[in-house]
Parts: sequence; C-alpha cells; structure tokens
Amino acid sequence: MAREECKALLDALNKATACYHHLVLTVGSSADSQNLREELQKTRQKAQELAVAARAQLTAALRDRGLGAEERAEFERLWVAFSGCLDLLEADMRRALALGTAFPLHAPRRPLVHTGVTGGAAGIAARALSVRSLRHEAERDFDVNDLRELEREVLQVGEMIHDMEMKVNVPRWTVQARQAAGAELLSGAGASSVGGVSTEGRRRPCDLSKALAAAVFSAVLLVAVALAVCVAKLS
Amino acid sequence: MAAGPAPPGGCPSAQRPHLSKMERVVVSMQDPDQGVKMRSQRLLITVIPHAVAGSDIVEWLIQKYCISEEEALHLGTLLVRHGYLYPLRDPLSLLLQPDDTPYRFQTPYFWTSTQWPAAELDYAIYLAKKNIRKQGALVDHEKEHYNQLHRKISHTWDLVVMQAREQLRAAKQRRKGDRLVIACQEQTFWLVHRPPPGVPSVLEQGPERGSCTARPRTWISTGGRYVLGATGRGGLADPCAGHLTGLVSQIEYCRKALGRTRVKSSVCLEAYLKFSSQHGPHDPIMSGCLPSNPWIADSDTYWVVNAPSVAAPTKLRVDRWGFSFRELLEDPVGRAHFMEFLRKEFSAENLSFWEACEELRHGGQAQVPALVDAVYEQFLAPGAARWVNIDSHTMERTLEGLRRPHRYVLDDAQLHIYMLMKKDSYPRFLKSDMYRGLLAEAVVPPETKWRVFPFMRKPRRSSPSPALLASMEPAAAAGGPRGGDGEA
Repeated sequence: MAREECKALLDALNKATACYHHLVLTVGSSADSQNLREELQKTRQKAQELAVAARAQLTAALRDRGLGAEERAEFERLWVAFSGCLDLLEADMRRALALGTAFPLHAPRRPLVHTGVTGGAAGIAARALSVRSLRHEAERDFDVNDLRELEREVLQVGEMIHDMEMKVNVPRWTVQARQAAGAELLSGAGASSVGGVSTEGRRRPCDLSKALAAAVFSAVLLVAVALAVCVAKLS
Repeated sequence: MAAGPAPPGGCPSAQRPHLSKMERVVVSMQDPDQGVKMRSQRLLITVIPHAVAGSDIVEWLIQKYCISEEEALHLGTLLVRHGYLYPLRDPLSLLLQPDDTPYRFQTPYFWTSTQWPAAELDYAIYLAKKNIRKQGALVDHEKEHYNQLHRKISHTWDLVVMQAREQLRAAKQRRKGDRLVIACQEQTFWLVHRPPPGVPSVLEQGPERGSCTARPRTWISTGGRYVLGATGRGGLADPCAGHLTGLVSQIEYCRKALGRTRVKSSVCLEAYLKFSSQHGPHDPIMSGCLPSNPWIADSDTYWVVNAPSVAAPTKLRVDRWGFSFRELLEDPVGRAHFMEFLRKEFSAENLSFWEACEELRHGGQAQVPALVDAVYEQFLAPGAARWVNIDSHTMERTLEGLRRPHRYVLDDAQLHIYMLMKKDSYPRFLKSDMYRGLLAEAVVPPETKWRVFPFMRKPRRSSPSPALLASMEPAAAAGGPRGGDGEA
C-alpha cells in the first residue's frame, strides 16, 4: 500500500540523515580523512535518492483529490516529518560544505583540530546504506571534486525543498503528531544502555579504577589463602 | 523552517569577529610542532587522546602572544565560555583552571560560528536523546525547555522522536571512546547555547548589534573593554585588506559625530514650555474663540474677523506680533504696519530687499535670472536707488555668487538684513507709539450670546446639491433675490 511504502521510505531517509549527521560531526577534527569524505558522499547520495523517491510518492498521494480525510491527515503527518528531515539534511550538507572548505585535506596548510575522536566511521555509513560493510575506493584528491559536487547538491536539495513548498500546500499547524511528549521513553529501550554507563563512568575514573584494582587484588588474595589452607589441610 | 539554513543578519562571522579570532587561536594551538602539548586521558579501560591541561594552555598563550598570566587566564576562560574548549571533569563549570585539570577541544561542527543560530529542532532532538539515555531524569530547566518545545513544535514531534532514536543507534556503531567524546561535545555545545538558569549567556547581544545595519561598525570585546574590530569576512580566513579601510571609515564617522551640534534637552524643554504658555491664550481650542466657534454656532464671523487682510486686526493678533519677529513678518497686516514704521525711519529698503529675496527663493525657476538682475540693480549695485547696508564680507560673497545666479544666491545677504531688522528695527517698533496705538485700537469681538433654543431660532440650511443648482440657475436668474432662505 502507498502509505506503507511512504513510511518505509521515510524511515530509511531518517536513518540516512541521522548517519549523515554523525559523519559530519567529525569533519575538520582529527578523524577527518579521505575515507570520511567518501563515506559522506555515499551517505548523502543515498539520502538524496530516498528523498526524491519519497517526495514523488507523497506528492502523488497528497495531490490526489479523492483521498479520505483520515488518510489525508496521515499523509500530511508523513509530509511534515519528511520536509523536516529534508531541512535537517540540507543544513547538515551546508555545514559539511563550509567545514570541508575550511579544513582542506589535499594541501594541509591548516592542521586538523585534535578532538579525541580517532576511530573510523565506516560502520555508520554502512548502516546508512543498509549494507554490511563499506569499501573505500577513493583516489587521492577526492575531496576537491567532492566539494564542488557537494555545492551543486546543496543547491539541488534547496530547490527540491522550494518545489515541495510550492506544489503541495500543507499547513503545518493543523498536523497532529502521533507521538506525545516523552514517547521516546516507551520503546527504544535498547538505546538506553548506551549512555547510562558512559556518563557515570567519566565522573569518577580514578576512584573506580582504584576500587576495581583493590577488589581484584583482594579476590586473588582470598583465593590464594583458600588454596594454601586446602594444601595445608591435605598435606 | 526549523533547521534554519540561512542565519539572520548575514554571515555570523562578519557580525561577531571575536569568534573568528578565537577560532584562529584554537587552530594555531593544533600545530604539531608549536601547538599545545597533548596528553591522553585514561578512563577505566579506554584511553582517549588529545587532552590538554589548563596550565599548558595558559603557558602556551603567554608564550605565543607575549601577554601576562592574568590576561592569558582571561583569554583561556573566554575560549572555554564560548565553547571552543571544554573541561573533562566538571563539564558544568566553564572556567579555565591553571592547574592540570584536563580539557579538550570542541569539534568544528559544534563551533559557535558554524551552528549559528542553534535551531529549536536540534535542541528538541538533543533533549529527546538525553531523555532516552537518562530514562526521563532530566534537569529541571531542561524539563521546562522540553515541555515548551513540545508545545511549540508539536507538529514535528514524530520527526524529533525518530531522529533521536536513529541518532543513538548510529552512535552505537562507533567505538566507546569516540561515543563518550561526542556525547561530551554535544553537551558542551548546548551548555553554551542554552545555558542553565543563573549562568549569563555569552551569545547575547543588544538589539542594535543584531541588526544588519550595524555591520559596518563592529566592536569586539576583549577583556571587558571595547576596541575597534576588523570586519572579518570568512570564518577562518585572514582579512587583512578590509581591516585598514574599515578603521579609516570608523575614524571619519567618529569625527563627524563629534562635530555635530547638540542641544541639551533641558534647553529644548524650556523653550517648549515657554512656547506653550505664550501661545496658550491664542489657541482657539484651548482658550475658546471670539466671537464664536464657527462649527458650533454656524456663523463665520470668526473667519471674517481674522481674515489675512483686514482693516481692524483683533487684539490677540496684535499681541502675537510682539512674540517674535517671524510672527510679525508672517502676518500681512503686521508686515504692512512694519513697513509703514520703517518708512518713517527711512529704512524701508531693508524690508523691500527681504521681500524681493523671498520672492526669488519661492518664485518660478524661469524668472530667477531676471529677478536676480533686478534685485542687483535696485538694491546691491553701488549707487543704487535703494541701497541696502550689507557688510563687505557678505557683499563680496554675494557678488561672487551673482556670476552664476541661482535661487539661493542671495541667502547670505537676506539673512544679514533679516538679523539687522530683528535686532535693530523690531524692538524699536514694539516700543513705538504706532504699535501702542494699534494695540489700543485693536478690536475684541464680543462673544455671541447663546440663544436658549438655538435650533428653533436659527433654521439650519443644508447646502443645495449641485444638480439642483444647475436646474435652478435660469430660474434664479429670473426670480431674483426672492428665492432666498429664511434667515434671522
């Protein structure tokens, strides 16, 4: 059904946008490299494909006059989420362009900012493209051409957004979102374990390591004492 | 929409050059040879590189910019408060401690100039993520913001929840150390852009700073003092060319501003009060008008009595001639009487000259050359019939200007004669017998008595419609004055 397809496309676009956001975070930092720029390019191209497909479907659905009121409300809700997602993507692309120009990789006159992030982000790009792993096949001066392409794509996305606004008239204030405040707490509990340990663990690094060392030492000591007692008893 | 791609008021770095300066400092700190010494931060099992100690930063700043320790400390604190550095142990206190408390650099994505202004949708997504991570235990002000945002952008709440979940899932793909660092970076960013209550926001600017028109004159605050700043163009580029011209234009502007005449408001207000008290009795609305208000009593005696050229001026009018010279000259009757007075004193040519100059100024463009010639012949030429007494300096200037005559060529001379009359003849006029005679003769129109039943005695007449008038004309011509209205 059209609604399910639209929802699937929107979910995929949402995933691609989130992954793109994570990749753009590290542009200009110590984790920046040709690989990262390549991953950025692949992710945003995938996001753009999804956006075009979703837009076509949604526009077709919303321009259909013979749509029931409930269905229409549903499509409008999807439309608002879709345009918001596209705005986020465009903003991130603009920032990527600005940062990529400011921190060029090909002639490093300017050192990259040491932020402490060193790992690769291949996993994120793979997640965005829904593949298992990503192969890097970029040439040396990849980012120079990439920036030019990025500029063009930013303009394209901007035009797409403008087109959307002109063609379909959805007043945003009439749309009722399905999720209420605090809805993120209900499901998605799998993501909660990510930060719970991390934010606490940083508060007391020294004490915790010392406590752990002390615990391990005392455990070893007890085991040694028990063994000695057994040996003494047996012999 | 929510993500706000184009910041209002132009490029943020042009508006706030202190940000681009801070960025340059941060980037020069990254130099592998001459930058700040980096250490590693050791947590339980993860080791995260690129931590710097506060004392190292202060030392580096002192060495690089040759400044005192106090100033280096202050500069470092500015960097921390604007979010370019963040403390690792106590993320909420944005200060630079000159000991070995570890700090780390913020990623360029979260620099203040990249993200200006921070969008509400982004903040909503951040709060939703934090909500998920902390299982709903948000800080008070964050809870408030959360509810506020939910009310404001409730239509996009689906997107907020979806993005929050997806971003957390995407973050899981990173190594643990990277995840921690990114979480800290985001937290610092939002601490700077949405500070908790009680912490002053570094990003506030006054209303005049935020407008586009304020752009050519930029001031940066370093250490609490305001100095002229360069109008920087790009975020991280080095603007040398625009610097000097910007400063020169600043100096010109300040010089002109100093030269402007300013009147103290006390003086202005005094003059205003004097005017109001003097003209109070003359105002028809404030003090009533004699004989009667035409709009109420339906008779135009008031206008007739106060016509521009009337034989017997009212007392109020004659009083007004005494207020200022301008009032006297503007009233035709007053001017005529003044002219008569001047004739007696044999200085009537002054007023004639003044009148001729006025005619030149307000007359038609085509008559200007002819009029200028006539005025010159009559008043200014040596040996003229009615020669006016102008000082030599003004006369020279006027004669110079007469070579290329235009409307305002006689302005200097006119002003000179005007001041002469005002200082000399006008006070004598006011003390003269003529003026006193006028005051004594002036009419005070009697107030019309109110009739008891005004509506019965005086029938209202409506003005006849033009259509009727047109048809009535031949009849009226034949009928004579008989076809009139009953009038009392």
